[in-house]
Amino acid sequence: MFKLILSWRYLRTRYIALASIISVTLGVATLIVVNSVMAGFSLEMHRRLHGILSDLIFESVSLGGLPDAQWHKDEIGKVLGDDLVGITATVQVPAMLSFQVRGQWITRQVNLIGIDQETYADVGDFSQYLLHPENRRALSFLLRENGYDERLPESGWEHRRLRVEYQRAFEDQLRQIETSRQAARGEPLPADLAGMFPPSDPYSSIPADPYSTTHGEPQQAERFDEAKEQFTGVILGLMIASVRHRDPDGQVRDHFLCRPGDDVNLTFPTSPPSGHAPTAQSARFTVVDLYESKMSEYDSTFAFVPIEELQRLRGMIDPETGVTSATSLLIRLRPGTNLAQARDRLMDRFPADQYAYRIQTWRDMQGPLLAAVQMETTILNILLFLIIAVAGFGILATFFMIVVEKTRDIGVLKALGAPSSGVMSIFLSYGFSLGTVGSGVGMVLGLLFVHYINEIAAGLEWLTGREVFDPTVYYFQEIPTEIEPQMVVLVLIGATAIAVLASVLPALRAARLHPVEALRYE
Amino acid sequence: MTHSVLSPQSHPSRSASRRHLLHSLQAVDAIERSEQPAVAVEHDPNAALISATGVYKSYRKGKLIIPVLKGVDFAIQPGEFVAIVGQSGSGKSTLLHLLGTLDEADAGEIHFEGNRIDNLPSKAKDVLRNKYFGMIFQFYHLLPELSTLENVLVPSMIGQGILGYWWSRHHHVRRATELLEMVGLGHRLTHKPKELSGGEMQRAAIARALVSAPQLLLADEPTGNLDRQSGTEVMRMLRCLNREQNLTIIMVTHDSTIAGMADRTVRLVEGLVERVG
Repeated sequence: MFKLILSWRYLRTRYIALASIISVTLGVATLIVVNSVMAGFSLEMHRRLHGILSDLIFESVSLGGLPDAQWHKDEIGKVLGDDLVGITATVQVPAMLSFQVRGQWITRQVNLIGIDQETYADVGDFSQYLLHPENRRALSFLLRENGYDERLPESGWEHRRLRVEYQRAFEDQLRQIETSRQAARGEPLPADLAGMFPPSDPYSSIPADPYSTTHGEPQQAERFDEAKEQFTGVILGLMIASVRHRDPDGQVRDHFLCRPGDDVNLTFPTSPPSGHAPTAQSARFTVVDLYESKMSEYDSTFAFVPIEELQRLRGMIDPETGVTSATSLLIRLRPGTNLAQARDRLMDRFPADQYAYRIQTWRDMQGPLLAAVQMETTILNILLFLIIAVAGFGILATFFMIVVEKTRDIGVLKALGAPSSGVMSIFLSYGFSLGTVGSGVGMVLGLLFVHYINEIAAGLEWLTGREVFDPTVYYFQEIPTEIEPQMVVLVLIGATAIAVLASVLPALRAARLHPVEALRYE
Repeated sequence: MTHSVLSPQSHPSRSASRRHLLHSLQAVDAIERSEQPAVAVEHDPNAALISATGVYKSYRKGKLIIPVLKGVDFAIQPGEFVAIVGQSGSGKSTLLHLLGTLDEADAGEIHFEGNRIDNLPSKAKDVLRNKYFGMIFQFYHLLPELSTLENVLVPSMIGQGILGYWWSRHHHVRRATELLEMVGLGHRLTHKPKELSGGEMQRAAIARALVSAPQLLLADEPTGNLDRQSGTEVMRMLRCLNREQNLTIIMVTHDSTIAGMADRTVRLVEGLVERVG
């Protein structure tokens, strides 16, 4: 009992111990905040990566892809059995996207993905990231009338009609002006000047069905009315279609270079028959929606089109049998299935020495990124635990001082019959109390900090005039956090253990004090 | 009132625990005797409460060995009030510490109630100091973080585990309060030692020494740090405890007037008992 009373009284009366408590408190609070932010970032990243990538990715390394995608699907279904929840074929090719903004051509290097709109939603969370609410419910490559995300200016058919009307009116005006000039001068319009006027359809040189160019002369299409018709739909990553900036108020804004209702041109390699070199193929598409996963790597490179259109354009449909090929198969497994084991089963069925396929889990695909985040978290934890270890040395020094200061009292306790273990317990209890109080306060501070982290970041920005968290860099509007109770408990146990360990040496010294020498200590 | 506070009957668990300890002490002693040849000094366990036989003690200061006690022999009977006197450096306090098992002799034996105690394991010595010996010091040595009452309760807290103390805490508090009232500090229960005078602190230390109802009180210069009036008051209290409660007291002092209040004196000269008066 005397151990508890004395350690409590020492805690209350030795204000130098407060320094140790504050060190432990800050260490624990920092650990909780950093781990929560890292866990939030990691979780958000995992969620998005996993949502985009599905569980398993079965892809061909060749440009021609997997011949007979359906046969592969059936074989995979046999291997995975009940573990298979969804499977979809995709065609992925590098492509160049180009579009005009106020007469200037803008090009982007993109990863063009042909998807099956019926089954693609079964294997991932793709549709959740679309900006039109109807498309989030049921994916469609048809242009919507309007009703896109509030960040977008007027889009869809409404924008398309206005744009075409404006363009036509502008061209009519130019023609009228030139006609009146010609009439005034009585001269025909010079041939080089005539070329300066924009054609009514800037993409007229590109056929609506470019695939036909690989199989003969382009067909003369019927007159295409842009105001009423669309090309094949394409869904672009948000960062392909926009640039992000800060307005004068400091708010992050997206300025859209193209939006649903605009047309873009895509150029990509064909899938040539054996022995032939691939050629570039171009086609026009109408932007029907934008895609925002908030993963900049994806939002700035991914463009989605209907798979059957891409297969047709690239020549991936056998003209005789109608069998289609695909470059990859995305597989969704039953929750709880061991992904690595499922991957290994597929690798056994499709050995690398026979099939030029790459079979990976989503974690394998993002291995370096996930490993980098994990390593960052580990190093931060080590560094922050070193802070608590420094606090531990503070406790050690403080306790040695207290033992020296209390030498006579220790002698008295021993003279009154206190065993050495009892004297040792006083200082161990004291260390435990310091650790517990410091950790407890640190936990409360840390949790409060995490809860109000965005408000605190805003306050710091206001105070320092410097940006603490830049959404244009991280692509998160707010700092993501995730409090893991297990982590909090581990941090608390670790910090308390360090405090107790730091008090072991002083406690041993106190326990070994000779009572007579202690009583005579001046 | 005084009698009820100090009498063994007021401490219900004491008799049983004492018997238990003595059995264990005898057992330890018997083991020791069986392993070592017995010292050729016979003691009558019923005669002396505590005795020292051929006790040697020296201190080492660097390479220099300073002998302090050079074969001390004496015995104290139950109920005696003995003053150990001598000049500074004569070994008075060293002898008291050896009797109180705070230190270990280089040679010789110390017996308590006929049982050898100088070679007991440290845990048994802790029990002995906690339950059978009371100690008071020249500089009182109250714990500054605790109140007067808590200081008096410390031996009870040491002697019992947390739960044991918690269950019997009312009994302990009542007893400590009665002792403090007995020494005239009933109005100072919650005061910290720094709020007490020297005499009051020594009286609180006496109450602390008595809380376990010890058989032997060891006092190291109890009046050495007090003015004349306070010193006389403390001595009167010790005398009263000795006469009324038959408490055996061994007191170390260099003041012959104070020593004169004891039943007899043991004079130490250069580490030897020169005279027992």
